[in-house]
Amino acid sequence: MSQQGKHRILMVSDFFYPNFGGVENHIYYLSQCLMKLGHKVVVMTHAYKNRSGVRYMTGGLKVYYVPWKPFLMQNTLPTFYGTLPIVRTILIRERISIVHGHQAFSTLCHEALMHARTMGYKVVFTDHSLYGFADVGSIHMNKVLQFTLADVSQAICVSHTSKENTVLRSGLPPERVFVIPNAVDTAMFKPAPERLSSHEIVIVVISRLVYRKGADLLVEVIPEVCRLHPNVRFIIGGDGPKRVRLEEMREKHSLQDRVDMLGAVPHAKVQSILITGHIFLNSSLTEAFCIAILEAASCGLLTVSTRVGGVPEVLPDDMIVLAEPDPSDMVLAITKAIHLLPQIDPQAMHDRMKKLYSWHDVAKRTEIVYDRALNCPNQNLVERLPRYLSCGAWAGKLFCVVMIIDFLFWRLLQLWQPDRDVEVVPHINLTSPQSGEEMWDSCAADERCR
Amino acid sequence: MDPLVITKGRYTYAHDVKKGPPEAIDVHHIMVAGGFMFCTYALLFAITGFLILLLLLNITSVCQVLMPDKPVASVLWSFTLAGFTLRQLLRKQVEKESVVILPAFGVQLETTYKSGRTVHHFVPIGKILKPVLNECVTPVTCYWSLSLILRGEEELLLVFKELYPPVTMLVPIWKALCAAIDDKNALACIQIATLDDAL
Repeated sequence: MSQQGKHRILMVSDFFYPNFGGVENHIYYLSQCLMKLGHKVVVMTHAYKNRSGVRYMTGGLKVYYVPWKPFLMQNTLPTFYGTLPIVRTILIRERISIVHGHQAFSTLCHEALMHARTMGYKVVFTDHSLYGFADVGSIHMNKVLQFTLADVSQAICVSHTSKENTVLRSGLPPERVFVIPNAVDTAMFKPAPERLSSHEIVIVVISRLVYRKGADLLVEVIPEVCRLHPNVRFIIGGDGPKRVRLEEMREKHSLQDRVDMLGAVPHAKVQSILITGHIFLNSSLTEAFCIAILEAASCGLLTVSTRVGGVPEVLPDDMIVLAEPDPSDMVLAITKAIHLLPQIDPQAMHDRMKKLYSWHDVAKRTEIVYDRALNCPNQNLVERLPRYLSCGAWAGKLFCVVMIIDFLFWRLLQLWQPDRDVEVVPHINLTSPQSGEEMWDSCAADERCR
Repeated sequence: MDPLVITKGRYTYAHDVKKGPPEAIDVHHIMVAGGFMFCTYALLFAITGFLILLLLLNITSVCQVLMPDKPVASVLWSFTLAGFTLRQLLRKQVEKESVVILPAFGVQLETTYKSGRTVHHFVPIGKILKPVLNECVTPVTCYWSLSLILRGEEELLLVFKELYPPVTMLVPIWKALCAAIDDKNALACIQIATLDDAL
């Protein structure tokens, strides 16, 4: 299973490449750094259009694109027990020791964690977002989260605010939650080689133009700032339902020459857009962590952001100016940032970010969580059921029934196709120039020894 | 050469080398056993039950479609239907799938059914780019399969169309196919080299 403390990890989420986003990048970078540390990582996600089956990414990262169609916002259809056979097959053939699920909004993650617990594997869950408590969607999501986290070995959150939010939503004891912040690839996000001229100030906004990301705030803030500071220009990258409102604002105040709308920006081009600006504006109404401001700081931009969620925890005070999510407060913050600009040295900022945030550090801290998870005691079904009962009067009993049925299905599946009939995948070293035939010879030798 | 035989579960792998001009012909068989007998009896039981049900329906005259005024004809009709279904199912039962490697000529893929019918598919050696062992992922499982990448074709050609043999049996067949393709490529290179020398 694990040699010399090295683990075999299965990352599960609905969100992975070819989509680009916070969760997707987190899984990818974390997997790459864990592989550098000597662990084996396999990723499981749903199929994207015609990308289905097994794919290999950089460094030999194996990805299973399981052909379950997504039904709502990139999530697989929740069938409760439908994913049990494929999850079991992947866990046995890759000889997995730990299952790591990402994002509370991912149905595949919840199902895979449930099945992994039924089969006795250790499970770690990472929560990437903040959620509310009051609306119908949040209430149901929180109940599902409570079910999954009732029996998780360890949990990880990306900021202290996120930890507080997760603990309150799920009732998980705080001792079992670790805080490991995200990081940024500082090698990719480098500042501009030459300092920009300061007679015209460029403010960059790159985000999805949706309500959650504060696009409505931008509609109020931009005309006011343009009125107060004649030498300020805006560059807006990103697309979404609120783009129409921003276009209307541009027309209404005749700001076509002062506000550039770039549309959707591919992730590879983000750095080239950021280095054209002096200030990065983030107007999110809620954020557990904000990788966008890390990317901006790594490129040497001064950040102006709303004081929400985990944002105050991300950057040191001299790299960020915070404001309440209110248009007049944000305009004041932008004014303050413009006055602070002459003191900013992009290269020095980039060097500081290199020391503060790195994915290798995140991987080492995650390794500690895995070691702690593996040391948790093995418990059979009867010992685990009381944890579900404490989830609620009716919900607790329902969860227990769900787990018992899952256990019975697993036993049935074992009768139909015993564990030893699932063929284990040989270790394929993609980085060394070993011929395919030698690899299969060594695998056959392993099989005979077993 | 002694034939090599590996048995795992329902599948048996046998390797034969036949003497034939110009060089030895490699034959690999994968045979399936055991599952068929159970299926036949279960099927016969099901069909008997189905017939009894039909007869009962005829006697009680509930089902109009089955000509209640002609019981003999309807019984014969239901026997024919059952016989037809059984024959269709038996036709699909595979007894053996073989790969015959004819060096420098091509690869013959054969499927032998329980009914005695054999389906052949010949692939000329020049058309094969590379044999590959693929992991196939379905919504419920993941298994290994051996396929051929063909020149000019978008789709891979499955070597074993009906059976799902374990990977320990696929590996020697894959190695033999690779060796045959490499020999052919080496031969082609030598021929091109001698042609260049002659010119």
